[in-house]
Amino acid sequence: MMRLGIPALLLFLLLLPGFADSAIVAAILPGGLSGSALLSVFVLIFLFGYLAQSWNILGGFAGQLSLGHAAFFGIGAYTSTLLFVEFGISPWIGMVAGMATAGAFGLAVGFLSFHYRLAGPFFTLATIAFAELTRLAALHLKFTGGSMGILIPLQGDSLWLVQFTDKAPYYYISLAMLVAVTALVWWIARSRFGYYLHAIRQDEDAAEAVGIDTRRCKLVAAAVSAGLTGAGGTFYAQYTQYIVPNDILTVGLSVEIILRAIIGGSTTVFGPVVGSFILTPVAEMTRVLLPGAGSGATVVQLFASDAGLVEKLTGYFAFLSSGGGGGGALMLYGLILIFTCLVMPSGAIPWLRARMRR
Amino acid sequence: MDPVVLSQTIVSGLLLGGIFALVAVGLTLIFGVMKILNFAHGDFLMLGMYFAFLGSVMLGIDPYLSAILSLPVFFGIGWIIQSYLIRPVLKAPEHIQILLTVGLSLFLQNLALFLFSPDFQSLRVGYGGATMSLLGVSISYVRLVAGLIAVAASLGLYLLLGRTDIGKALRACAEEKLGSMAVGIDVDRMYKIAFGLGIACVALAGVLMTPFFYIAPQVGLSFTLTAFVVVVLGGLGSLPGALVGGLIVGLMESLGEIFLPSPSMKQMATFTIFLLILLFRPQGLFGGRRG
Amino acid sequence: MTRHLLEAKRVTKRFGGLTAVGGVDFHVDEKEIVGLIGPNGAGKTTFFQVISGFCAPDQGSVKFKGVDVVGLKPHKISRMGMSRTFQIVRPFAEMSVLDNVMIGAFGIHRKTKDARRAAMDALELVGFAAWAERRAGDLPVAGRKRLEVAKAMAGAPALILLDEVMAGLTPTEQNAMIGTVRAIRDSGVTVIVIEHVMHVIMSLCDRIYVLHHGELICEGAPEKIVRDPQVVQAYLGEGFAP
Repeated sequence: MMRLGIPALLLFLLLLPGFADSAIVAAILPGGLSGSALLSVFVLIFLFGYLAQSWNILGGFAGQLSLGHAAFFGIGAYTSTLLFVEFGISPWIGMVAGMATAGAFGLAVGFLSFHYRLAGPFFTLATIAFAELTRLAALHLKFTGGSMGILIPLQGDSLWLVQFTDKAPYYYISLAMLVAVTALVWWIARSRFGYYLHAIRQDEDAAEAVGIDTRRCKLVAAAVSAGLTGAGGTFYAQYTQYIVPNDILTVGLSVEIILRAIIGGSTTVFGPVVGSFILTPVAEMTRVLLPGAGSGATVVQLFASDAGLVEKLTGYFAFLSSGGGGGGALMLYGLILIFTCLVMPSGAIPWLRARMRR
Repeated sequence: MDPVVLSQTIVSGLLLGGIFALVAVGLTLIFGVMKILNFAHGDFLMLGMYFAFLGSVMLGIDPYLSAILSLPVFFGIGWIIQSYLIRPVLKAPEHIQILLTVGLSLFLQNLALFLFSPDFQSLRVGYGGATMSLLGVSISYVRLVAGLIAVAASLGLYLLLGRTDIGKALRACAEEKLGSMAVGIDVDRMYKIAFGLGIACVALAGVLMTPFFYIAPQVGLSFTLTAFVVVVLGGLGSLPGALVGGLIVGLMESLGEIFLPSPSMKQMATFTIFLLILLFRPQGLFGGRRG
Repeated sequence: MTRHLLEAKRVTKRFGGLTAVGGVDFHVDEKEIVGLIGPNGAGKTTFFQVISGFCAPDQGSVKFKGVDVVGLKPHKISRMGMSRTFQIVRPFAEMSVLDNVMIGAFGIHRKTKDARRAAMDALELVGFAAWAERRAGDLPVAGRKRLEVAKAMAGAPALILLDEVMAGLTPTEQNAMIGTVRAIRDSGVTVIVIEHVMHVIMSLCDRIYVLHHGELICEGAPEKIVRDPQVVQAYLGEGFAP
């Protein structure tokens, strides 16, 4: 079933920008969304799918739960951006540099953690500490622009400089990245390295006993995972043209990355992709239907007012149904993650497979 | 270095450290008894803050009264959460346990965001600005009370564990689950109690802070992270470790504020020390398990 | 005289005050099935740990294919052609039987295709090919033991160390496993077995070494071992010497 579906889906995705502005699409989209907005949702789907795939090599396949991948994302973004803004170097080259830098950091974090035998929650805590240090460093160092971040000066459309006024080129680049990383993961899964990672995830001691050099495998996974994530950071920088530490270096971003992989199925090749296709539209849809622009003053007013209880409740209900103070999408994410842990801990794909076998 | 400024810093550091200790004591208790690292811990502090806030805004309840009320309320919340969310994953692989509490954290943070908006709130009380003078050092009443109650609560919990029957049962469950079951301890119930106590502690910390700290949905994360630092520093599962660790971290952050080039760099110092401990002495000051 | 496939001389291993293995001389020639027996705590598994590289001896030498292997890491010795099974069997539960055996095959095959073929060959040799797609975590004890043997065989070893593969098996299953061990030898692989089950040792082994408190107390053909007074004493206690 998957064999037919994938080429068909790819074809659809390749053609989508062509008719994004057409009447058919406008009719399907919920009120207010334009063709361009639709394309940007897809860019996010592709980007987060890409990031989740990259994370999954270390987090899902090798079983090392990193909650600090935002650091690699940010390092990639800052590397290429600084090279571009300070030296005019093309972001394509910057992407390679970003990958190398992020990969080196990944190797360093991995080396320290594995050398000192950090496992399970200790490893996770170490990755969080590392990511927070990176964020705090970016906030304080002058050359990273501090809390104001770095703004990339717009110079008009250019493939070499990876700047476009239209969404479509970004769409295609991110799609290509997603396809490429998925192909890489597919290849890894079938290789000796992939088998070794799965063994390490399930029982690291037994893997050692069978002759697998577990430390080396984990280090390679860490470096590759970090490097690929860094490339995603470069893309994001060129897409939004403005990078700021409290956007791209947060624990929240790390969580969003892993959500896609966990919910889709972290031991599978397509899990992160499926996860992204499920979660990202949910978030965007929620943001449209429940804009959540309410202010705190409104809340306090409602609570503190002298109005009767019924009036207060109806007023508050109205406040909530327009999205309250925001966060509706992420609340759903939290619930979905809890649900996944309780009901389908291996993720959607393995769960579906198990059901279909009966 | 002006000795008054130094003493001021030390005092406020210790008082804040008392709050950290109370937060960490709850976290370490939960870990000690059921081996779960609650990544949502700080978010219950945030909920405690909103509990006090709503009490004040809607019903005019003084935060210290809310503090008393918060104990049974949050103990109950902890009990329920353990029963329905934590208990099912006690036998699941570690990463699932971590992800569950991460999901809970994500949900709680954004629930608060949804219900109350991202705008910072504050709880104004008449005596909020009052200070007293002790040996030339000016201390804010509300911070002093918060710090003292926090430390007292931590000590109280420690005594509870050491002296009472329930405390002994909890410690038994922490050390030897099967053995405890064999002697008739309802381990399941003990887990609920432990979680309830842990949550009650951290929520109390939140309530105590409302007269002088800002209230916002995102407040939890930084306290969760600090709690982890304290707990690892003090030794996972060790209550005295959490108490001492909390005071040390509070002191460190306070001193960091005046000695480091930029006040907000104190967090970097905290995380660096955290990484160093994780790498070189993961069992912390008071020994204990390696997790 | 041709060299022995495996030759250990005066191997000694101490753990603190306890001498687990004391001055043991041991050799195996190609295509033999050699048994290593002794009461519990005699030092048999420790000896296996030493010759397979999981543990360094305090004294003595171990030569495999004429090469000194003391100090080499386990996966290096494994690559040289010595495989082993473990007493406490730990398969990778989520993976299939075939995938588990492939992990063993990857020790000498780089490509997945080759590893898969070697794994299937190993499974056929141990008579477990029909179970290839089953989830390893679902296997009963006998299946896990068979998987363990297949995993060790997948690396196409010259010498295989079987550590108590009969433990936990019913008599029928034991007979089947005896057939498997013979098939392994017939395919050209040399075997050393640690066993407690006497009738297995008697029927399988060409030669037997007996360890007691870390020392070698007898060595020779099964008939000789069974009559040796020291052996009987070691197993049954003082009053039984003939």
